[in-house]
Amino acid sequence: MKLGSWAVRTGKKLLALLFSLLALATAVFYISRLAPGDPLVAYYGQRAERLTPDQRAQAEERLGLNDPIWVQYARWWENALQGDFGISYKYKMDAAEVIASRAGNTLVLGGAGFALIFVLAPLLGALCAWREGGPLDRVLCRLGAAVSCIPEFWLSLVAILVFSAALGWLPSSGAYSVGGGGLGDRIAHLILPLGVVVAGHLWYYAYMVRSRVLEEARADYVLLAKAKGLGRGRVLLRHCLRCALPSYLSLMAVSVPHILGGTYVVEMVFSYPGLGTLAYESARYQDYNLLMLLCILSGGVVMCSGMAAQWISGRLDPRVRARDGEGAEP
Amino acid sequence: MSGPFERVGVRPLPPAPPQPRQRRGWPVCSAVILAAVVLVCLGSGLLPGGDPAYMDLQNCGVPPSARFWFGTDAMGRDVFAMIWAGGRVSLFIGAASAAASTAIGVAVGAAAGWAPGWVDGLLMRLTEILLSVPSLLLVVLLQAALGRPGPLSLALALGAVGWTGIAKVVRTEVRQMRRCGYIQAAKSMGGGFFYLLRRHMAPNFFPSILFMIVMNVRNAIAAEATLSFMGLGLPPETVTWGAMLSLAEKAALGGAWWAVLAPGIFLAAVLLSMTSLGERLRGRAGQGEGNL
Amino acid sequence: MAGEVLLDAQGLAHAFPLTRTMSVKALDGLSFQIRRGEVYGLVGESGCGKSTAARCVMNLLRPQAGRVLYRGIDTCDPKAFRANRRMLQRNRQLIFQDSAASLDPRMRVGDIIAEPLRLQRVTPPRGTCRDEAAFQMKYVGLDPGYLDKYPGELSGGQRQRVAIARALAMEPELLVADEPIASLDVSIQAQIVNLFKHLQAEHGFSFLFIAHDLAMVEFLCSRVGVMYRGRLVEEAPARELFARPLHPYTRALVSAIPIPDPRRERARKPVEFRGGELPPGGLWTEASPGHFVLEERGDAP
Repeated sequence: MKLGSWAVRTGKKLLALLFSLLALATAVFYISRLAPGDPLVAYYGQRAERLTPDQRAQAEERLGLNDPIWVQYARWWENALQGDFGISYKYKMDAAEVIASRAGNTLVLGGAGFALIFVLAPLLGALCAWREGGPLDRVLCRLGAAVSCIPEFWLSLVAILVFSAALGWLPSSGAYSVGGGGLGDRIAHLILPLGVVVAGHLWYYAYMVRSRVLEEARADYVLLAKAKGLGRGRVLLRHCLRCALPSYLSLMAVSVPHILGGTYVVEMVFSYPGLGTLAYESARYQDYNLLMLLCILSGGVVMCSGMAAQWISGRLDPRVRARDGEGAEP
Repeated sequence: MSGPFERVGVRPLPPAPPQPRQRRGWPVCSAVILAAVVLVCLGSGLLPGGDPAYMDLQNCGVPPSARFWFGTDAMGRDVFAMIWAGGRVSLFIGAASAAASTAIGVAVGAAAGWAPGWVDGLLMRLTEILLSVPSLLLVVLLQAALGRPGPLSLALALGAVGWTGIAKVVRTEVRQMRRCGYIQAAKSMGGGFFYLLRRHMAPNFFPSILFMIVMNVRNAIAAEATLSFMGLGLPPETVTWGAMLSLAEKAALGGAWWAVLAPGIFLAAVLLSMTSLGERLRGRAGQGEGNL
Repeated sequence: MAGEVLLDAQGLAHAFPLTRTMSVKALDGLSFQIRRGEVYGLVGESGCGKSTAARCVMNLLRPQAGRVLYRGIDTCDPKAFRANRRMLQRNRQLIFQDSAASLDPRMRVGDIIAEPLRLQRVTPPRGTCRDEAAFQMKYVGLDPGYLDKYPGELSGGQRQRVAIARALAMEPELLVADEPIASLDVSIQAQIVNLFKHLQAEHGFSFLFIAHDLAMVEFLCSRVGVMYRGRLVEEAPARELFARPLHPYTRALVSAIPIPDPRRERARKPVEFRGGELPPGGLWTEASPGHFVLEERGDAP
């Protein structure tokens, strides 16, 4: 009954996923309510401080902020299950709408970054492994380590300094010029943030690939292949890289949220209208509904990609499958 | 039957190929830089030069000169003095958060590795949940919940978010060690869990987590800088490298490059030296001749 | 010689789960007794459950069925165990097969040997823990200069001696050795076995010696039990067992012991054993005084 047991296992994993999401939502809800600060400020801006107590009470009543926390939580779930995630206090629109309007931008930036890294990292890593110990490898390692250490926001600042302020080649903020722009304009606006995102993460993955390939290169079968007369490049590509691929793929699957989340900072510096800026504003100004939706979305993305990663590595490496599903320790 | 061998001739061997230079010594450069920065930051109160909080309004935005070695920022404060004062706060946050995350990580990891299966599953589920929220967001939330923003609460919030790596490593090590002879021997001799943890397991898994501890310090410093930069960290009047950079952001477009470069270079240098120290501590993984 | 029964294992049974559906029976109704001052050898092929038996005896593993009585106390009962914990932890000591794994690589030899004293908070009879450790080391034939060395700096035989010294530091009544010589060179094996014989004669502790090398067992033990697939198939005084093995499995084992004379050895043919599972049931009969065999129903000795 292989199908049956597979269904049962997947069912269990989905349940675990739902349970985790639930726990996450609860935690975020309670913590954000506990934080000091005034949500009315998000709604009314600076005028909130000048509200009379009556007006304040009315406003709180209207926004439902007077009820005990668990009531608010229950109400939130009630609405959420019907598709209504509440209104963003700051934008005075549906939270879901606000997110949808910005999500595209982040996806473009994050997605392009992810794709570039996905392709470039193995190339770079394999290149370094091929020339291991040589001058190229050493230089790349040092450079890569240095660049990946530098905080992204500083990289962005320096990029703005150099490319925008000093050289004036590229625009420094926004996703497109005022009044809309064509594809070329969009791309021009995308280059700097994309460059920073890729530069910030690339070396981490390239280094992983490099280490993995080198680890494989120390195995006995590589010695055998060389003794058989296979050239260095062929051995590298056909054997070592292929063996490094499963762990690379699962690493990339798990890194989807990391890279997508890593665009937040870059977005802020470049004033790029995406989910990153949204997230921090909502955290800072207690825009509860927006915050909840964002957390749940990001949590869902992480967990799904985690499951995907597990599934991928299970398919590629039977040892992982045995360890996870069927085995039990004596 | 077999007498001494007869020498029939001598053939010289070709000279041995040059040995590759051993690159696995300690990163001296990084250690020196790090030590220098730490020492000067700690002793920054005794340094000559300006008070970092003093705003010399006649000298706003002055480029580096003989008087102001790193120039002044938009509000007239001496960048040189601010670097060291800010460094102190940043380093403190790094160290404190690493201590917190190590404590939590070891506790959770040891519990997960030693306790029966369901506790392990629960704790791992908890870690997953924690990891699924973008960490910076979580830090902001936690710090807000902890009340008064200050270096200590920020450090604790950072520590509460960064313990997962250590916990995973400790859990794996404890699981392996559970079966090891010396643990079982000590158990049969009467050792309780805490005795085993303290006396046997900790010295054995410590080298594995040393690397992560150093990385945690480094990540905490970077995170604090990022948060201060975005105005989400410490109160605005606290001087840290991130806060300096956030003020410098506006100055950058006007061309005041020194305010951007000075704190940034120091930040990058500290992070880089910590990373290379951490890498060295990670040990001699991957040694031996490659067969390629 | 009928001494007091020190250790009484009754009907031990334990199965390890391999997958969700399959499990392997490590112990299947194992029962034996060890008297005071007796050297009891437990032999069998790899995987027959000897190590599991050792762990059950030492309470490192809780058997799924059966009990282990030590001096009449049921050690598998948590309450009784807790009440007599001190006594049980002091008087029973264990020596492992893998000497490298059984010594903490980050502790010095002196600390390793003195650890049981510290744990049990016993004042060392020789004054300080260090002196006690030095004394024990001399006793097992190690140079006390090794006190401050780490286990990684010692050879296999030396490590095993350290493990023995650690076990003897508490002057136990029962010493359980789980294949202590299996991982050593043959010449070192001889040394360690001689050491065991000598120590046992001097101290008079009871010794459960688990091994799969029959020659060593014949040399060292006074009484031998043969295990197969988690059950005892034969048990007799050593000399009797090797002279007159009754069970087919024992016969196969004994016939496989190599004789050091190549001519005689080549002329022999080892007895074959059919292998496979033992039929369930079976009678534990006394073929001659002190010599017990597991008879299958319908078999005649």
